[in-house]
Amino acid sequence: MNGARSRRTLTSAYRRASMIGCLALLSLYGCASMKSTSTSARPAGAQVAVPTDSKQQSTAAPPPAASPNQLVASSVDDTGPSSTTSVGHPAPAATPPVPGPATSSNPVKTKSPAGERPVQQSDAAAHEPRPPPALATPPNKTPAAPALDLTDLEQRLRDTRAIGVFTKLSLKNQVDDLLKQFRAQYRGSNKHPSPELRQRYDLLIIKVLSLLQDSDPQLAAAISSSREAIWGILADPDKFEKI
Amino acid sequence: MRPCISVLTVLTVTVVTLFSAVPLLAADDASFGKDLMATIALHGLPCDKVIEAKRNGDSDYTATCKDGNRYHVFVNAQGRVIVQKL
Repeated sequence: MNGARSRRTLTSAYRRASMIGCLALLSLYGCASMKSTSTSARPAGAQVAVPTDSKQQSTAAPPPAASPNQLVASSVDDTGPSSTTSVGHPAPAATPPVPGPATSSNPVKTKSPAGERPVQQSDAAAHEPRPPPALATPPNKTPAAPALDLTDLEQRLRDTRAIGVFTKLSLKNQVDDLLKQFRAQYRGSNKHPSPELRQRYDLLIIKVLSLLQDSDPQLAAAISSSREAIWGILADPDKFEKI
Repeated sequence: MRPCISVLTVLTVTVVTLFSAVPLLAADDASFGKDLMATIALHGLPCDKVIEAKRNGDSDYTATCKDGNRYHVFVNAQGRVIVQKL
């Protein structure tokens, strides 16, 4: 009888323990998921509210960085040498990856001042094996920058999650409208794109960049760097026909 | 006692599922609201934040913005996104 009692008490104790464990697990999991909601929901809400303002403001903000060059470029481009300006443009875009070399160039600067610091930096350099490859890349970057892969950019734009479906479709509509205007322009006698077309192109690029810059900065940088190269294709009727 | 445990297990699973599903739904809503907001902004119309999106049909929504503006956002037969102020 005592054995049976002890078994019963053991089983009841086991069940109680399992129930308590389940409840504890449940409350823990609930707390954990609540935390995740608070962390995930707030940024999402903040991004919904802020980006619009920042987008609308940023549409005005990016131009000063890009438009000064392009205003110069557009004035020059009317004669044709847009491709030369495109070579100049990718260089600033290529600078974001360069921070490696910038840090690596510091040792070169600090080598001259004193003998103590180079020792520290050589230690740091020993800890970080990245600077040496970065030193090797700068010479390669100048020829590699002008490369333009339209299909790759297009695919990346299609695949990116930074832009929603409705937004992508709206952008596609606007791109199609712009291409129609280019076609209409080239059907006429004037084979050079008008400044208005350039302005529309710039505006469209700014829209795309403002949509991408927060959520997909790499793609934004890629588009920004190939901006002039794309214009070079659009501005040339022969290249434009091949699109 | 076993039925009690099984009920508890079902309850646990349900609650856990609810807790884990709610954030996903919220995230989807937020991203869709952002999508609608960007679409409205691309059409040059004001909308600070989409607080409600009512689905009228396939690719057809009525968006209500925080500032009180309401828009009909839909894709027409030609595949163009149309935004109409209501």
